Amino acid sequence: MGRLTLVTAGMVFSGVFAGLAWAVWTIAEAPVPVSLPTLVSENLQAAGVEHPVTAVLLNFRSYDTLLEIAVLVIAGIAGISMSRTRSLEDPGLRTSDSLLYALERWFFPVMMLFAGYLLWAGSDRPGGAFQAGSVLAATAVLMRLGGVPMDFLRPGVMLRLGLTVGFSVFLVVALASALDGDVFLQYPEVITKPLIVLIETGLTLSIAMVLLALFVAAPIDPAEELEEGGAE
Amino acid sequence: MTPWLMAGLLFTPLAWAVLTLFPAFRLGRVLTRLGILAQFLVAAGLWMTVAQDGGFYYPLGGWKAPLGIELRVDGLAVTFVVLTAVVACACGWHAGDYLSPETGRHRYFWPLFWFLWAGLNGVWLGADLFNLYVGLELISLCSVGLVALAGNVGALRAAIRYLLAALLGSLAYLLGVALIYGQFGSLSLAGIQALVASAESFPGAGVGLFIMILGLALKTALFPLHGWLPPAHGIAKSPVSALLSALVVKASFYIAARLWLALGEELGSFVLAQAVGVAGALAVILGSWLAFCQSRLKQVVAYSSVAQIGYLFLLFPLTFGVPDSVVQLAQQGIALQVISHALAKAAMFLAAGNLILSVGSNRVEALAGVSRFLPFSLFSFALAGVSLMGLPPSGGFTAKWLLLQASLASGQWWWLAVLLLGGLLSAAYVFRIYRASFVESRGQDQFYHPPRVLEAIPMMLALMSLCLGFVSEPVLAVMSLPFEEGG
Repeated sequence: MGRLTLVTAGMVFSGVFAGLAWAVWTIAEAPVPVSLPTLVSENLQAAGVEHPVTAVLLNFRSYDTLLEIAVLVIAGIAGISMSRTRSLEDPGLRTSDSLLYALERWFFPVMMLFAGYLLWAGSDRPGGAFQAGSVLAATAVLMRLGGVPMDFLRPGVMLRLGLTVGFSVFLVVALASALDGDVFLQYPEVITKPLIVLIETGLTLSIAMVLLALFVAAPIDPAEELEEGGAE
Repeated sequence: MTPWLMAGLLFTPLAWAVLTLFPAFRLGRVLTRLGILAQFLVAAGLWMTVAQDGGFYYPLGGWKAPLGIELRVDGLAVTFVVLTAVVACACGWHAGDYLSPETGRHRYFWPLFWFLWAGLNGVWLGADLFNLYVGLELISLCSVGLVALAGNVGALRAAIRYLLAALLGSLAYLLGVALIYGQFGSLSLAGIQALVASAESFPGAGVGLFIMILGLALKTALFPLHGWLPPAHGIAKSPVSALLSALVVKASFYIAARLWLALGEELGSFVLAQAVGVAGALAVILGSWLAFCQSRLKQVVAYSSVAQIGYLFLLFPLTFGVPDSVVQLAQQGIALQVISHALAKAAMFLAAGNLILSVGSNRVEALAGVSRFLPFSLFSFALAGVSLMGLPPSGGFTAKWLLLQASLASGQWWWLAVLLLGGLLSAAYVFRIYRASFVESRGQDQFYHPPRVLEAIPMMLALMSLCLGFVSEPVLAVMSLPFEEGG
């Protein structure tokens, strides 16, 4: 990169940064006309969970979360659509460190337990499906590096079920609430909390599965397909 | 009735995305065709409901804005829902016969197709800034996955490039959302619109709006941010290219337009409006010129998209600081342009796919002699071209006529030159393809005949875009249906 390009880029970036800083400054000084946090705490009673973040994610703005999970599933699908299945058995991808093995035996149960705790904690304190799913995925990545057989990761029915279970549960709940006579995603009042916990459990599994699928699906198919029409 | 229609509209694409993930390509095709039928009926039903009873807000989860997310179901939104149903129906049906069932990865076309449809519907109905962001992400990731399905290294490169551009655009949009949220404390577009009108000035939120429009312009491939579009749309499988050009780029434009119409008058500026308009004008002229210079058929069509997207951005100057009647004219013109371009461009890409399938090459010169073997597809291509050029009675003509009136009524006569020159240049690149196909070549001809249904689908789309001019009156009437604010 030439010096001129660098200088130009530097000037552009400092300009953008200065503009943003100025905007943030003016906004921070002005009073905010609507206070969503107040609204959330006023309605928390009806939300079914005690933690405001979980209430926003899985009740007030559950439609956003539904679509976000769809985004994760899409990422997983795009990943496995390009994957080479043989790589799962590739011994080159495994480590052979006896210390790691020994540690892993200690780690796995604790990490699983921790994931379960995070999931449960989400209803009244920081935690929830995204955090629990990440911990679960990390456990599985360690297991895979340690050579624990995980046949379900091969692109088959099991992998797809895992990818979509959370999303499907969420969607079925959404539809059931709509057919019940209310709007899409409006949980019946008496069973709000069990429904949220059910959705969160499914989501934890699916989030872990998406992350794991993306991890194992990394190498691409070496078989070349020519561009449409054959010519380059 | 309406609750069922809404539930069906939101649920079907998402459910079919999950269903079609499991079976192999052929069963996925059957399932998809059933789902297409259901979704089409629901979309048409919703359109009729809104045409009769007017628009409404749909509070998801029973929580009203600003605490919850509301969907805004108005005339414009349902028109686009129906447009999406028509184009997606055509592209999905075409893909079922066009993609080879033997290639393993093609089975993933179906789930990605359905998720894309869900995302598009989400964007048309979205009335919440963050929800629109999630919809955009859904669409972008599906599109990237669909481009990568072509399977070769070039496609992967184009897909990654597309992903990076789309992510950058999304992040810029999100940054703008954060600034706007910081200023107003709300994410509901209608709520912010009401606050903005309260006569104070909001310079910080103005920066937010600017960044959002910049990010959306990148995602819509507005000149000079169009670099990612031709490789991605050119290399993807033809039904995918058709979906991307006809619908996906329109989603980010739609958000930019809704933001501009709601907040532009207060938060925007004359300079910003004119600058966006100039970028659009440059896109029309340079995009058409580049389309004329391409040596590959699908690149011609892809650059033509860059040019046609340029017209859309004339909305910004034509709706800033002008009387309401002009705003109305410009809005109608742009909406018609979106519809006619979506139909025409889908027809063009699908027809181009047939031509490529037939001659076995994607180069323009290879089309020599194809006029005798595939007159039907070639004719669809040309009919779609008629709409792009803006000749009567096509929808493109009506759209440009409305834009012309809007530019004259607003006193911004300089956009006339763009409208006229753009039409001429698009004629140039369409006729270049036609010319190549009528050249007689020596030697043995070797053509493959695609199945009839593949030829019929682009023809139907092209005819629809051609006849849009005749039915533009009722379409426009539903689009501009009065909408009870705050309902």
